Amino acid sequence: MLSTLISYLSREHRGLRLFSMLTIALLAAQLECGDSSRVETDPVGSAPLRRLSNSEYLNALADLFPASAIAVSSLPPLPADSEVAGFSNAAEAQQPSDLRIARFEQIANLYAAALAKDAAAVHSLVGCDYATPTEGTTCANKFVREMGSRVFRRPLSIEEQDRLSVRFAGWQADIDFEAAVQLTIASMLQSPQFLYRPEVAPRSLNAATSVPLEPYAMASRLSFFLWESVPDDALFAAAAKDELRTEEQLRAQGTRMLANPRARRSIWSFHRQWLGLDRILSDEHNSRTEEVDPLWSAQTPVAASHESRLFIENVLGNGGTLRDLFLSRRAFVNGDLARIYGIEAPADPNSFVEVLLPEGQRAGVLTRVAFLAGYSHRGATSPPVRGNGLGLRLLCRLPFSPPPDADLSQPMASPGDGPKTNRALFEARTAPTSCMSCHRTLNGVGFAFENFNAAGAFQTSEQGLPIDARGTLVGTDIGRPIDGALDMSSALSESKDVQRCATERWVRYALGRAPESTEQPLLAELRDKFGETHGDIAKLMLDIVTSKTFRLQRATPTTAKFGVSR
Amino acid sequence: MKLQRRHLLQTLGLGALTGLGFRSPLSHADGVTPPLRIVFFVTPHGHVPRGWKMPMPGQPTEAFAELALVGVPSADFSPVLQPLHPYRDRLLVVEGLARTSALHDIAEITRTGTGDLNNHSIGVAHVLTGGIALQRAGSPCTGGMRSIDQELAVRTIAPGRFGSRVYGFDYGPNGPIVPFSFLGSGQATPIVASPRTAFGDLMGYYHPPATSDVPTREARLAAMRPQVLDAVAREYAVLAPQLGTEAQQKLLDHRDLIRQLQASLGAGPSAKCDPTVTEVDHVVTQFMRLTKMAFACDLTRVVTFVAPVLEPADLGYPASETMHGYAHQSIEGAPSCGQTFNPMAEKALIDLNAWYAGQFATLLRELDSVAEGTGTLLDHTLVVWTSELATPTHEHTNTCTILAGGANNFFKMGRYVRYPTVADNPLPKLARVGPAHNRLLVSLLQAFGQSDTSFGLTSSRTRDGLAISLTGALTELHRA
Repeated sequence: MLSTLISYLSREHRGLRLFSMLTIALLAAQLECGDSSRVETDPVGSAPLRRLSNSEYLNALADLFPASAIAVSSLPPLPADSEVAGFSNAAEAQQPSDLRIARFEQIANLYAAALAKDAAAVHSLVGCDYATPTEGTTCANKFVREMGSRVFRRPLSIEEQDRLSVRFAGWQADIDFEAAVQLTIASMLQSPQFLYRPEVAPRSLNAATSVPLEPYAMASRLSFFLWESVPDDALFAAAAKDELRTEEQLRAQGTRMLANPRARRSIWSFHRQWLGLDRILSDEHNSRTEEVDPLWSAQTPVAASHESRLFIENVLGNGGTLRDLFLSRRAFVNGDLARIYGIEAPADPNSFVEVLLPEGQRAGVLTRVAFLAGYSHRGATSPPVRGNGLGLRLLCRLPFSPPPDADLSQPMASPGDGPKTNRALFEARTAPTSCMSCHRTLNGVGFAFENFNAAGAFQTSEQGLPIDARGTLVGTDIGRPIDGALDMSSALSESKDVQRCATERWVRYALGRAPESTEQPLLAELRDKFGETHGDIAKLMLDIVTSKTFRLQRATPTTAKFGVSR
Repeated sequence: MKLQRRHLLQTLGLGALTGLGFRSPLSHADGVTPPLRIVFFVTPHGHVPRGWKMPMPGQPTEAFAELALVGVPSADFSPVLQPLHPYRDRLLVVEGLARTSALHDIAEITRTGTGDLNNHSIGVAHVLTGGIALQRAGSPCTGGMRSIDQELAVRTIAPGRFGSRVYGFDYGPNGPIVPFSFLGSGQATPIVASPRTAFGDLMGYYHPPATSDVPTREARLAAMRPQVLDAVAREYAVLAPQLGTEAQQKLLDHRDLIRQLQASLGAGPSAKCDPTVTEVDHVVTQFMRLTKMAFACDLTRVVTFVAPVLEPADLGYPASETMHGYAHQSIEGAPSCGQTFNPMAEKALIDLNAWYAGQFATLLRELDSVAEGTGTLLDHTLVVWTSELATPTHEHTNTCTILAGGANNFFKMGRYVRYPTVADNPLPKLARVGPAHNRLLVSLLQAFGQSDTSFGLTSSRTRDGLAISLTGALTELHRA
């Protein structure tokens, strides 16, 4: 066993000094001798191979090559990531396609060409002279080593260094040094070590055994979870010193990383996907009927989405809590949104300024345009759509599917019946017993938001009739009637069911897969801690980072031989 | 403007490939039948029967019925089919198939009480797969297996030729996007929505005629593309064995795609086709032209096109309406949707499909404009028009399907055919239905010379336990 372990280390990671050899030898000796008392045997979930999601990939390129002057918006569009439960980083939905491979090649070629656009650029990139053959060889090796470790997110193995240097020399002989730099970068950016996050696990150990992740893989787990991007120099330095192992070390790194502006990417990305805040950007919301909002334009959804982002980044990205998500009145609005919110517009209607939303009318994400209009139709609100959206997102419920013969059209008052509120029409439509099995749950949630029209504007009456915004949260831990959206937000802000859902989604986001049965105790523990802090988001992220399922990996049970096939 | 190779070179990061296209008819050695190509032309929301169906006076309803189209005057074509009248000799209009696999799924989900039952999602998951939808918590249901276009892609791919291209627009009638084409269970095939981007992709495989110029440094750099891909592919092979089984497979799948791209770059002689596409007119029209170019240059043999849902205002209807809203009011006496019938909604849906038919006719015209062998490209192409639903009111039975093109003489074209409703079905409350749509997918495979006798779900049961077969080709459609 010891020899296998040493072989594992020495074949692919010789020169990496990933683990302290002493520690590994000790670990192996314990396993070999049957002494598992000091080996962590807690069940740790699986770690499927993850490809960088589109946003991780683009962030990685931007962070690796800040001086490349390539705007992400100018790149050929990547095919959309397939979503699972609203999240686009699910390992199970990352089957490669010819189009994706073609895009990766195009983008790699674009970056390589830009970085090596002329001799001056190459000189500055490699940082050494290559005029003479001797200088050239030394400089090429340095370039391959340094660029390789940045792109692969760990030092190259000796074999990798050899392989890449031989290729470099060939390309240099074929064309010239600068061309070799360009082609080497192009190849690195298409390599699995960049596009995927391989985590090589020891193989011949007991499959039930969990061991610490090797430090550079740990650095990538941290950076892609907390930043949606590659590790920085400090993280590399910690990995090199094997300081990403203990809970304390991980907590310290995590705390440092969450203070970095890059952490806002993850916090926004998570909430955007969890709450479906992009929904407002779908074509259906490009317009609103005259009756709903004559001034709504195709730019309104874009502004609403940007408002969401500013809210999430600024309110939740700085020590914010789940309570803030539901209750904060801080908002960032341009002229168009100020109009919908009924507040004074900023002096420059195109800029976004921070305001406090009207007290007693609005608080938290559920009373903003992105949610209220995003879960409406263009001509009217739909309490079932809002109810279903909230249940799906905030309570992690399965979606309710209308039966095949359900009438999904907007209910209208029959001529001669006189005016009716939207609520009354939906109550009548969904009154049959067969409807109420689902609508008992859906309507009670949606009705509480009826003080906001399909554009998200506040209203106290419709058709000259007062609006009744009383609702319920059936099947949740909130066992009391609800009166209006603010009361709903307040109830949800302390709901254990919401905390449970948020925790499950955060773990899913962190691991790129659904939590597994062995991780249920972890979920419960995370939820309890989350609740105790009123939903402190940074603390939850740190608790995930320091959890065993995040910092350990399962040994791979297999009889396959290690080897290299070409 | 014309999309030309040189316009895209910067986008591709391949500044040196400045090949010039030239125009010439496709030539094939005498006696060799040109290869068969296929287009799946997918439009949303199904058809309003009164806009699509044609009367078949004197024909039985309880048996397979057919009407020769060649002698039917344009005025007697239904409003939706009218734009296709010029191609009536190469049309095979099929009325009456049932999405039996979707009915099976609906019956199962209803019985177990779990799963996404949204008719659009179910329809989209089934129309090109004929297989049970994949249900994943927190997501709309999605395709549960490789779809027919991707199956044909796998079987027709070759170096220098993409297996397939999927073009068009995201379809999200209820919010989340529901794709039609699937690489595998739950894996949407990427879809390209910009003709310019799609053109650039095709040009990645296009081989311009060789020139005698001394290659520039840029050209030598670009010529290294296969070498770089080879180097990359080796990295996948080195890493894969160090990981677990599933991860290995993922990396090797990725590696294989890189190898495909690499092989394509060095493959084949210079293309003899017109590698340009005019960038004018509606974006759908541009995709129709692009499809012609892709086939003419043999850069793929399978194209799936997902049409956009137009806004009613695009067709002269009030801007306050939506097509989805109209859909529910578009069929008089429809048993679903206790919704009031609205004649204007019916007309809007008919106009929408007549508009699609106009684009469909454009595709046929474009394909017919390229000489190939002793005929045209259209003679060697099969164009299939289908939808995720039979009707805008969410039916999955009595569907409207159109096959068009010469299809290398596999199908007997020039007919309007109607299948009788004599097959059992899995849903308790439905009467008998037409043959399973799966069997059409089998016919498509057989048109490509494949020997398959089933695709997707092979059998179901009625509520009373009677077996329902979904296998076997629809031989009534075949020529022989």
